[in-house]
Amino acid sequence: MRRFIWLASMILLVLFLGADGIGAENEQWESLFFRANEAYKEGRFQKAVDGYTRLIQSGHESGHLFYNLGNAYFRLNEPGWAILNYERARLLMPRDADLNFNLRYARDQMQDAVAASESLMNTTFFWLDAFNLYELFWSFAVLNVVFWAILVTRLFMRPDWIFYPFLVVLMVWFIAGFSFGLKWYQVHTDKRSVIVQEEISVLAGPDINDTVLFKLHAGTEVCRERSEDGWSLVSLPDKKRGWVKKEAIERIHWAEKGTH
Amino acid sequence: MTTLFAVTVNQENVSLSEDLAPRRHALSFQLEAFLDLARTAMARSPKVAALVLLFLVLLFPCVALADVSVSIQLDRKEATLVDSVRMVVSVSGTRSSDLQPMVRGLDSFNVTQGGTASRLEITKGKVNAGVDYTYFIQPKKAGQFQIGPAEVTVEGKSFNSNTATITIIKQPQASEVDRGPLFVNARLSSARAYVEEQPIYTVKLYRQMKVSDISLDLPDTQRLVFKQLGKPLEYQSVLDGKTYQVLEVRYALIPSEAGPYTIEPTRMTMTVYQPGRRTSRGLFDDPFFRDPFFSFSSGRPMTLESQPQALTVLPLPEAGRPADFSGLVGRFDIESNLAPATIKAGESATLTVLVSGRGNVNRIPDLKGPELSHAKVYADEPVLKVETDAEGLAGTKTMKWALVPERQGHYEIPPLSVSFFDSTTHHYRVIKTRPLSLSVLPSQPQTLQASSQGADELPSEGSGKKAVEELGRDILPVHASAKDLAAGYRIRPGEGLFWLILLAPPFLCGLTFWGLKFREKSDQSIAATKAKKAAKNLIQKCRQGRMSSSELALSVRDFLNERFDLALGSLTPEEGAAILTSKGVNLETAERFRSLLQCLEDAVYTGKGHEWCERAEEVSKVIKQIQKEIR
Repeated sequence: MRRFIWLASMILLVLFLGADGIGAENEQWESLFFRANEAYKEGRFQKAVDGYTRLIQSGHESGHLFYNLGNAYFRLNEPGWAILNYERARLLMPRDADLNFNLRYARDQMQDAVAASESLMNTTFFWLDAFNLYELFWSFAVLNVVFWAILVTRLFMRPDWIFYPFLVVLMVWFIAGFSFGLKWYQVHTDKRSVIVQEEISVLAGPDINDTVLFKLHAGTEVCRERSEDGWSLVSLPDKKRGWVKKEAIERIHWAEKGTH
Repeated sequence: MTTLFAVTVNQENVSLSEDLAPRRHALSFQLEAFLDLARTAMARSPKVAALVLLFLVLLFPCVALADVSVSIQLDRKEATLVDSVRMVVSVSGTRSSDLQPMVRGLDSFNVTQGGTASRLEITKGKVNAGVDYTYFIQPKKAGQFQIGPAEVTVEGKSFNSNTATITIIKQPQASEVDRGPLFVNARLSSARAYVEEQPIYTVKLYRQMKVSDISLDLPDTQRLVFKQLGKPLEYQSVLDGKTYQVLEVRYALIPSEAGPYTIEPTRMTMTVYQPGRRTSRGLFDDPFFRDPFFSFSSGRPMTLESQPQALTVLPLPEAGRPADFSGLVGRFDIESNLAPATIKAGESATLTVLVSGRGNVNRIPDLKGPELSHAKVYADEPVLKVETDAEGLAGTKTMKWALVPERQGHYEIPPLSVSFFDSTTHHYRVIKTRPLSLSVLPSQPQTLQASSQGADELPSEGSGKKAVEELGRDILPVHASAKDLAAGYRIRPGEGLFWLILLAPPFLCGLTFWGLKFREKSDQSIAATKAKKAAKNLIQKCRQGRMSSSELALSVRDFLNERFDLALGSLTPEEGAAILTSKGVNLETAERFRSLLQCLEDAVYTGKGHEWCERAEEVSKVIKQIQKEIR
């Protein structure tokens, strides 16, 4: 009995200290977040950018943080970085009304009139844009549990009525699984990048002496096809292609490049 | 009246669609057809029915809706006073109408009903149904008549068909030449035609005999193109007082150069079945079997030729030829439309010009769009639709332009013209679109949406409300709530926890399944081990010796209980033998077992049960034999 009480006390102590540690850490990040917000409200936008960026780099990849960072960049008159961060926020909270309004507004300020690319996948599976990867994952995970639970139930008893809900769950499970797989593929093969420099020349080859094909401006969305020797080959929805300096563009899917 | 039901796939239908046709009716019919299918499946198995319904739910968005439409078709365009013409009124989009069709323009005809046929068509996932009402009409007088429209009422709503024209001629004078029961006749609608005009060349096969494998060889004439018009027609006609079955094929003749032409005879090759002659009287010498249906002999090939035809092709006159003449010959109309007629600067309006008519429609020129100052004009790809019917080639060319004015004002769109040679009046004609005007209002700044949610909503016209005026533009503020910061840790696809969440349910399901299987298997293997052990124990006891008869009888009973998983309290020798036989032991061994057990029981019941038994070794042998046979 004594041994049991000792063990229970130790577990409680560890849990308390751990929770306290996590709580303290959360408090620190919250404080940083509020300070960044304060800086934004007071017009110290660079300070706000630094605060939000630090939070994101610490692993707090929240849609709201990317949105706030986008706002701060917009105030700093950096539409490229603003649109980049709005797009990143959209990957996490695609239905947020404020975000969609600001993104639309920021795009209105862009100099380049580039038509939005409409891929066959986006047109056919139109609902994918309305959900983020995590929402689709959890929907599928819940349906997965229900689906297999029904199968386990059928191992022990086989009432006739269970067949019909099973059919419905099977269909929804399949759609959810397919949607999740597709979204996963879409996110991990997302080559969309945003021009972050005010104006860049798109060249015929990966050399500064190559012919200038056309010019692009901050905020324009391009597709990065490949990179080599500090240069990236980019293309536009109207099939225009050319080479730009690697640092002139930032990939929207941040896992590879990190945040600015 | 006969009622037929047919399911046809890819059947061609010429029909006039009614704009007011209720789609609801077509939809209800399609649902009815699907539910019929589901009901059939339900009769077989509810599970199959559920699968069928699931399939239909998935399929249903692919199924297009059909309109209710009515059409009239005649089997020919020309007939004599003694002919009977077949008229079919086709109703599509429904299988039931409230009443028979009411057909106008039949005052000069005697009408006989020829039956009703229901049909169900499945074409490219589109389900359509219809009813065909057949009539035979016999003219009372000669002349040209317009038949139709036919009016059909479906669910209280009326639908009208197209009209059909037929020319009734008087019975031609009986020719003195008897042309026999089989001949071919070819005729040109006109002996004189202009270049690119399209006289109709009609070939008719008249027959009173059974024929098959008909093939037609058209004459090979240079600079003359034959274009078949529709499908061959088959009908009955009276010529020189005799009734013939007629096969009619029509062609449009398109001459490309002027000059005299002789159209060589058209040849028709076929197999002819002549009535056979019976000389001997016998079982089949009955009037019934003398019917031509039964009396055709085997066929023989035959080739028939029509008479040659002369055609004079005149060149198109030079006098009065317009400068923009493209070689278009026939009768044509032009229409134009501008929509919308009022726009704002920077917006676009569509100018549509439609040239339609009968003749060499492929010569309809691509018109040049209007030239407007301070407006951009973007031409769309012209669309040409060509159709053939009994009267020749017809078609429509649709040309569209997007007009984008840059400034406000009033834009006059000049008429666009097409010139052609009118084959009816034999003069050149120029047809023009009517002048159109486009009102362009000044472009207005974009209105500010009241909220970010209602981004695309505009106030309704005439509501008396004003669009929300934009006074300034800016982004919305930062999000101040920190609640989402704790969500820094997310499950990322590919991580251990991700796979755990996804794979744990199937893993647990598999584990449960194999657990159940294993339990079932282990129960069986325990029973098998127990059975083996039972035999081993009994044999060992027998070898050890010094067992009394009662001990031996008890051991044998225990063996049977353990070996076959039984719970018998007492056991007669007959019961023991029966159990062994039922488990696959042969009758001889079972009998040996029975007699042994009988001996042991006899010893027990005669008071010698406690004495040493000498039969232990024999018991051991029988048990070994039983083990062998069961294995």
